[in-house]
Parts: sequence; structure tokens; C-alpha cells
Amino acid sequence: MACTSISLIREQSEAVGPTRALWVPFALGRPLGSAEDPEFQKQVMRQAFDLLDTATEPTIADYDGPMPEEAGPGEWACPLNLGPVVDDTLTGRLLAEVGRLKTWSAQTRAARGRTLFGVSGAQPDRVDDVARALASIADAESITELPRSDSAGDIEWAFDMPLLVRHLADDLRTFYHEAIAAQPGSVAPNHDALNDWIFGGTALGDTLQAVADRLTRADDPMANLVRGLLIPEGRYQGGSAF
Amino acid sequence: MVRLSDLHEAEAEHLQARADAMPRIEPGEWITPKPLSESTVAIVSTAGLHLRSDAPFTLGALDYRVIPGDTDWRDVVLSHVSTNFDRSAFQQDPNISFPMNRLQEMAEAGEIGAVSPRHYSFMGAMPNPALFEDTGTEVGKMLAADAVDVVLLVPV
Repeated sequence: MACTSISLIREQSEAVGPTRALWVPFALGRPLGSAEDPEFQKQVMRQAFDLLDTATEPTIADYDGPMPEEAGPGEWACPLNLGPVVDDTLTGRLLAEVGRLKTWSAQTRAARGRTLFGVSGAQPDRVDDVARALASIADAESITELPRSDSAGDIEWAFDMPLLVRHLADDLRTFYHEAIAAQPGSVAPNHDALNDWIFGGTALGDTLQAVADRLTRADDPMANLVRGLLIPEGRYQGGSAF
Repeated sequence: MVRLSDLHEAEAEHLQARADAMPRIEPGEWITPKPLSESTVAIVSTAGLHLRSDAPFTLGALDYRVIPGDTDWRDVVLSHVSTNFDRSAFQQDPNISFPMNRLQEMAEAGEIGAVSPRHYSFMGAMPNPALFEDTGTEVGKMLAADAVDVVLLVPV
């Protein structure tokens, strides 16, 4: 059988030398460029498939087509008022923020008929428990024991600690992204814009920073690895993951 | 845009270092497939996708998951460990990384011959692709058993 591929990082494709590759100038996580745009995606796929006819030796071709429309930093602002809270502990702030986003997140899940929430092992209706579990790690004595609480006692977490931390964060980010997606607006924010929002003062961003600090203090190779997987590069106040 | 120069400096250096260390794959026999309109096409992804009922991917995973061609997107989750790619787009539209519906449309339009009954996802995120030889061979054999003519490899 013949292979053709999409290449997101041209330097890596050049090193490996695949039989056929279409390098695309799209963001990581967006190999076919534009979400909910079937014709855009198919024109990318057609360019990759064309190499099946035109390539006679290992070939990397450059994408030749339109660029997707997306809102970057400065072009998008979160319209949601996450407002002041009564309980200014990390857990209190995070739960209050999650509470404000629930209706919007549920709206997106209903409209899409699906969600990516659940990789941690918790269901979407347990988002409060996921938030408590994540926040609890910031000052936990042990980073190898599973988060325990009366309300989350029946959740079968899908990972052991500390790797579970990574996926608690992912489930909450899914929840936050769903909430944003329910907001009116013509163009969805891109990765940088979303990260600017989350790490620009949200309780989730502050919680992730605090949890990353705790993992760093653990002075443990696995904790350090998880810390590097927790916050996008350039966003951790404590330095690079690499 | 993923030009390394557009990424955070540390991430760009990391990805360039990975590229510098990657071994070149020696090409095998060059295969020219039959016309695409007669070909059965499958997707192989490195997005760390799997069914909710599957075990999630873990650190250093070399294994893969099967994504049946009639999978309902409600049953698909993403457990890739990297946080350095945009997941919101996949949340919005899974086809942006795993164009199963796009292939179905192209088959209905006669652009491709047929869609494979099975697709596959690895997690990737490993610096040495040679480690995937065994599981890659397994997937290759299963693709051949499904009479797949063309594989679309999609990163994340």
C-alpha cells in the first residue's frame, strides 16, 4: 500500500524522509487547517493525495492554498464575566469559576452531542470534583496518592498519580473551551488566544501554576515530567519544560 | 502557523533537537497505487485517540488503538500527553485531525474508491520512531488484511 502524509513540522519530515508529505503551515493540533470547514479540509487532503500520482521518490511538497481564519491574541477577548468571588482560596476561586461556566459548557455539549471530557475518568457532571481534585494537589503532602474527597470517592480515576494531574487539567481545559465555544462570535480563538486567556488570570490558570510549582518542589523525575506536560511551553512561571 | 520560528523559543529548540536526532527512514520498494478513485483509504493518526472503552495512552506509549470506520464521535476521546498543541479545534470538529467523515464524503463523491472499515491511532511523542517498528508492522498487516491501498498519515 502507498502512504501519503500531512507534515506539521517540516524540519522533522526532512529528517525522516517520508515517501510523500504535504507540509502545511497550520498550528499544531490543526493538521487539516480549519475546523467545521469540510471543503477546506478536503482541499488539503486532495493536495496530499495528489502526491500519489506526482511523486516518484520521497517528496515533501508545500501546501498551496488559502489560510484558515482564526482569531489570535489581541483579536479575541473572553466575553464571559468570571467576576469576583467570596471564597478566595484556590479551590474556592476555581469552583466559583467553574460554576459560572457550567451553563455555557453544557450548551456546547448539547449542541455538539459530544465532549472530550472524561479522560481523567470522571463524567462531565463531576466537573466540580475534577476541579477540587486538581486544586488539592497544589498543597498536597503527597503527589503519588490519588485525590480523595467524600464527594469524589466513587470516581474511578483513569490514571495513577502524578500522571492523573495531566488529565485532570485536560478535562478542565475541555470544559473551559466548551464554555467559550458557546459564546457568540464569528471566529473561534486560536491556541495562543486561549492560552492568553487561561493563563492571564483565570482561576484555572492560577491553579495550574500552583500545581506545577508543587510538582517542581517534589523533586521527583516523574513529577518533573508531568510538570512539563501540564502547562504549554512559555506559560509556566517557573521556567521551561525542556 | 507551525514554522518553528513562530513557536516559543524553548519549544522550537526542542522540536529542532528532535529533528536533528531523528533517524532517516530508508525507503522500501516504491509503490504507485491504483487510481485513487479505485483505492480503499485508511487514516493512521498520532493524536492519541481512542474509544472511551479503551485503555488510555500512557507516557512512552508505543501501542495503538483501533478506530472503527463507523465510530460515533461521542465515543472518541484524546489522551495524548502533550499540552503543546491546540485541542480546542478537535473538540470543535474531530475531522480536523481525523478526517473520517471527509473520507466518507469523498467516497460518496467517487473521489476515492472506499473507506477502510478500520483506522488507527498512535500517540507519537516519541523521539525515536524506530521504537514503533513492531506495532507499526502490526498495523501494516491489519491494513493489508483490510485491503487498504492508500494510507493517509496525519500528525497532530
